[in-house]
Amino acid sequence: MLVRFWGTRGSLPVAATATIVQDKVAQALLAASGRSFADLDEARSFARNELDFATSGTFGGATTCVEIEAGDPAAGDPFIICDMGSGLRGFGLDAMRRCSEGHARTYHFFMSHLHWDHIMGFPFFVPAFDPNAHIVIHSGHEDAETALRRQQEEISFPVSFDWLRARIEFVTLKPGETYRIGAVQVEVMEQHHSHSSFGYRFTDASGKVAVFSTDSEHKLEKMEGEADVAHFFREADLVICDTMYSLADSVSMKEDWGHSSNIVAIDLCHGGRAKRLALFHHEPVYSDADIARMHAESMRYEELTREHDPLEVLCAYDGLEVQL
Amino acid sequence: MQWSSAQLQGCIVASPDGRVDEATAEAFTEHLVSSVTLAADCAGKKLIVDLAGLDYMSSRGLRALTLAKRQADAAGVAMALARPNEVMREILAISRYDKLFAVTDTIETAI
Repeated sequence: MLVRFWGTRGSLPVAATATIVQDKVAQALLAASGRSFADLDEARSFARNELDFATSGTFGGATTCVEIEAGDPAAGDPFIICDMGSGLRGFGLDAMRRCSEGHARTYHFFMSHLHWDHIMGFPFFVPAFDPNAHIVIHSGHEDAETALRRQQEEISFPVSFDWLRARIEFVTLKPGETYRIGAVQVEVMEQHHSHSSFGYRFTDASGKVAVFSTDSEHKLEKMEGEADVAHFFREADLVICDTMYSLADSVSMKEDWGHSSNIVAIDLCHGGRAKRLALFHHEPVYSDADIARMHAESMRYEELTREHDPLEVLCAYDGLEVQL
Repeated sequence: MQWSSAQLQGCIVASPDGRVDEATAEAFTEHLVSSVTLAADCAGKKLIVDLAGLDYMSSRGLRALTLAKRQADAAGVAMALARPNEVMREILAISRYDKLFAVTDTIETAI
C-alpha cells in the first residue's frame, strides 16, 4: 500500500508569498555560508540534505486530498481517493497521465464530509470530463450529491454538474459495516464535526492498514468514547489524523470548531498501538516553521508518554508519499 | 495513582502521585471534582494542584484539568498548578496548557 498526500492543509488553501520565499532563500544562503556549488544538482543536494525542511521546502497549501494506492494498478485495480480538497486538481492531472499509460479509469472517492475545503477540488477534477471514466463517490452522508451539485450551480461555477462526461454515482456507507471496494476492505466510523464527519479504515490484501480520520473533534464531555476511536486505529500502519490545533486551543477558544490536536492524536494512536501517525489538516495561518515546530513537539510528546513500542510521528506535506 | 489533600492558608492543596493516563484518568477526574468542592467551602477559594508527585500526564489528565477549571470558575474558585517536574513542564508547554493555567515553582507562590 502506498499513500500519497495531494493536499494536507485545513480549512482554506494557502500559498507562499514573495516575502516568505525570499526569507527561505536568505536562510539558505546564510546556511551555505559562502560555499560554492558546481552545478544545480549539487546545489539541489545541499538544499535537500543539509537544510531543514521548513527552509528548503514547504508543507504546502492545498486542502485535503489523499490517495491510497492498493492492489495492482497495472492489473486493473482502481484509484482510491480520500476527499476532494484543492489537492484533487493535482491528483486529477497525474491520474490522466497514469490512465494514458493503462491505469483503469475507475475512481473510488471516500468523503470525510462535505464542507467546502473538502469538495472544492471537484470542479477542477479533469477525469470528471473523461467520458470513459467511472467515478464512485462513497460517503457516510446521504446528501453528498446535493453538496457537489450545489457548488457547480451557475451562481458559484460556470460548468454545471450535468455537463460532466464521466459516469458518476453516489453510494452511502454505514458506520460499523465492512465493505470490499477495489483492492481494499473499508470500515467506517462516524466522527464529531458540524454536520458530522466520517473516518475510514482501509486494509489491503497483505494486511496493511491506513486510517483516514480528519475533521474530528474529540469532545471533553465524551472522553470515555475514545476507546472506540483507539480501537478503530488499532495496530494501523498509518493513521492520518486531524491535528489542527494545540490541545489548549481545542478546549478553549476553538472548542466546537470540529478539530483535534496533536496531543490527543498521539494518545489515541498509543491507545490503539498504531505504528505511524501523520499529522494532518494543518492550520492555514501556520507558517512552515510553525508546522515544523509542532512536528518536533509532537515527536517529543510521543517520547515522553510512550509506554509500548515507539509510534513514528510524520508530518504530512503536499507531495509526501508513504510506503506501508 | 495516589491522592492526598490538605488545607493551607485557606486554600486546598491537592497532591496526586504517580501518572495520569488512560487507566488513571477517571480517578484523577473524580479527585479533582471533590477538591474543587472542598476549595469552594474554604476562605481562600483557591485550589492548588501540586504536580510534584506526578511522573507525567496524558491528554486525558490535561482535559480533566480543563473540566475542573470550568467547575472551579462556576464556583468562584481560582485554580493553579504548582511544582511540575521537568517532564510535566514540557507537557504543559507542548499542549500550551501553560497558557491556560497559572503554573508556579512553589506552593507558596501559588497561594
